[in-house]
Amino acid sequence: MAEVEGSTAKSEGLASCHTCLKLVPEDTHTCPRCGSAVHQRETDSLQRCVALLITACILYIPANVLPIMYTDQLGKTEASTIIGGVVLLIKLGSIPIAAIIFIASVMVPSGKLIAMFYLVWSVKSHSQLSPQQRTVMYQVTEFIGKWSMVDVFVVAILVALVHLGGLLVIRPGFAALAFAGVVIVTMIAAEIFDSRLIWDQLEDNNDNSAT
Amino acid sequence: MQGTIACHACDLLVDVSELKTGQRASCPRCGHSLTRIRKDAHSKVLAYSVAALIALVTANAFPFLSFASSGLESVMTLPQTPAMLWGNGLPMVAILVAAFIIYIPATVLVLLILLCMPLRGERWRPWLKPVGRWVFTLQSWSMVEVFIIGVIVSLVKIMKMATVTMGLSFWGYVFFAILFTMAIAALDKYQMWQEIEALEEQRG
Ligand SMILES: [Zn+2]
Ligand SMILES: [Zn+2]
Repeated sequence: MAEVEGSTAKSEGLASCHTCLKLVPEDTHTCPRCGSAVHQRETDSLQRCVALLITACILYIPANVLPIMYTDQLGKTEASTIIGGVVLLIKLGSIPIAAIIFIASVMVPSGKLIAMFYLVWSVKSHSQLSPQQRTVMYQVTEFIGKWSMVDVFVVAILVALVHLGGLLVIRPGFAALAFAGVVIVTMIAAEIFDSRLIWDQLEDNNDNSAT
Repeated sequence: MQGTIACHACDLLVDVSELKTGQRASCPRCGHSLTRIRKDAHSKVLAYSVAALIALVTANAFPFLSFASSGLESVMTLPQTPAMLWGNGLPMVAILVAAFIIYIPATVLVLLILLCMPLRGERWRPWLKPVGRWVFTLQSWSMVEVFIIGVIVSLVKIMKMATVTMGLSFWGYVFFAILFTMAIAALDKYQMWQEIEALEEQRG
C-alpha cells in the first residue's frame, strides 16, 4: 500500500473510530464495523474537559477540609483529614508510607488538575513544551488517574476491619465521598481531553508556513 | 485503508499491515503503542480469565484480614468491605468501591471469555460486537491493583495498634489481580476487531 508516513487521518479526510480503530471517511456518523458513534475529534473536548476540571476543583475543597475518617477509641472520637493522616504516619515513623500517601492523595490529584488545565490552555495558545512532551504529560496524567483511589480504599478497608465494640472503631467521613468524586471526575476529564488537538496545532502551523 | 491505524494519541497514519506474530507497532511520531500480535492470544486470555475468576471467588469466600487487640478480634471479608461503608451512611462510596474492586473486574473477565471462546474457534457469534465495544471501556474502570496498594497502606497504618493477620482471601485477591492484569494485557484491541470483522465477512 501507499506510503502514509507523515499524514494524519484528519489531513486525509478520515476519522478513526474511538472504539475499534477503524478508519472511515470523516463524514461517517456510525462506525460500520462496531456500531459506535464516530467523531474525528472528541466533540467540544476542551469545554467539557474544563467544566469537569472545575467540578473536580470544587469537590477537592470538602475532600480536604472534611474528615475522611473517625476513630472512636474508649469513648473518645478523633476525626482525621487526608493531610492529618499523612502527619500521623510521619509521627508513627512510617516515612516511606507517609510519602506514598502524600504523593497519592495530595500531589497526584492537585498535580493532575494543574496538568490538565495546562494541557487545555496549551491547545489554545503557544506552549513552551513540544507536542511530544505534552503527549507524555497527558499519558502520565491518564495513567495515574485511578491510583488516587487508594485513600478511599484505605478508608473502606479500615472501616471493615477495625470494629472492636467499645474499644476501637473506625468510621468513614464524608471526605471519602468528595475525594472519590474528585478522582472519578478527573478520570472522565482526562478521557474526554483529545490529545490529537495538541498535534493539530502542528498541522495548522505547517499549513500556514506552506502558504 | 486496511492495515492502517491512525495513532490514537496524535492521529498519524501508520501502516501496520506488515506486522508479524510476536511484534508490536508503536507510533513513529509520538511513541504511543498501537498494536501487537501475540502468539496464542485467545488461549492465553481464556486461561488467565478462568483462573482469575476462580481466584476472585476464593477472595470473596474467606477472611481477608483479621485484627486482634486486647483479646478482641474483628475480621474483614471482601464483600463486607463495601457493605460496612453502606451501613455507615456512605451508600454511594459503597457502590463505587464494590464496582471498582469486584463487579467491574468480574464482568470484564466474563466478557473476555465470551469474546475469546468464539475467536479462538474462529466462529461468528452475534454478541461479539457489543461485547467487544464494552470490554475495554469497562476495563479502564477496574481498580484491582490500586486496591492491593490500599490493603498494604492500611496494614502499615494499623500495624502498631494491634495484630493484623492476612487471611486466605487476601492471597486469593493478589492472585486474582495478577491474573486479571495478564488476561487484559494478552488481548489487543486492534487485532481483536480485525478478527471480528473477518469472521463477520466470512459469515455473510
Ligand atoms: Zn468502530
Ligand atoms: Zn502518535
